Amino acid sequence: MNVVAEIESASTDQPEGLKVRLPLGLLGFEQTKEYSLIADPAIEPFLWLQAADDPNLAFLVLSPFEVVPDYQPDLSREDLEFLGLEGPDESQVLSIVTMRRSGGATVNLKGPVVLNRRTRSGKQVIPSNAASFSVQHPLPVVA
Amino acid sequence: MLILSRKLNESIVIDGRIIVKIVRVDGDVVKIGIAAPADVPVHRQEVYEEIQRNNLEALAPGRVVVSALPKLVRRAPAAPRPETAPAIAPETAPETKPSKS
Repeated sequence: MNVVAEIESASTDQPEGLKVRLPLGLLGFEQTKEYSLIADPAIEPFLWLQAADDPNLAFLVLSPFEVVPDYQPDLSREDLEFLGLEGPDESQVLSIVTMRRSGGATVNLKGPVVLNRRTRSGKQVIPSNAASFSVQHPLPVVA
Repeated sequence: MLILSRKLNESIVIDGRIIVKIVRVDGDVVKIGIAAPADVPVHRQEVYEEIQRNNLEALAPGRVVVSALPKLVRRAPAAPRPETAPAIAPETAPETKPSKS
C-alpha cells in the first residue's frame, strides 16, 4: 500500500489523520514535534503535514517520487540510525511543497522529510548528496 | 564569538558531549569532524538556512491554499492514477519507491 492509501485508510478511522512525530521538528520549527499527516482525496497525491496542536502550522507535502521518479537521496548513517530504519521498505519520503505567489509551486528535494513507517517517527534530513537537489524544484504543471 | 586556535588533530569539547576535531587542513579548506549526540542536528550553515527559509515560505496557514490546489493537482502529471481515487486504495496499489539508503 502506498502512503497516500495508507494514510487515507487510517484517516477513515481517524479524521485527524495519521500521527507522526518529528523529534527534532522541521528546520526553523524545531519546537513543533507532533504532526498529523492528513489525506484528502480532493488534493491527492498531496497530503497535509499539520502540527497536532496548531492547525495554522501546516505544510503541503508530496512524495518526491511523484515528481522525480528516480530521486535517490543518500541518507547518512547517523540519520538512518536516528530514524531506526532497518530496511528501505520502512521509509517514507515526503517533500514539502511551496505554493508560489506567481501561481506555480515548487517542491523541496534538498531537505526531504523521511519517516519510519513502522515507528511513525521522522526527521527532515539533508542528504549527503543534497548538492545535486534543488530546494525549489519546480512542480511540473501541464500548460 | 569565542575564537580558539587549534592544530591538526586537536579538538574542542562543547558542553561535555560534542567534540569538534580538525581532521585536515588543505589550503583554504578545513575538514572538521564532529561527534555529537543524535539529538544534536549538525548542518552546513548555508544549507540549513536555505531549507529553513524554504520551510517558512512553504508554511500554509490554516491550509488556506486548499482552494488553489485542485487546479494544480489536476494538472500535475503525477504517476498514473485512477481518475477518481478510491478512499482506500486496493492492496495492489504500487509501492512507493523507497529511498536508497
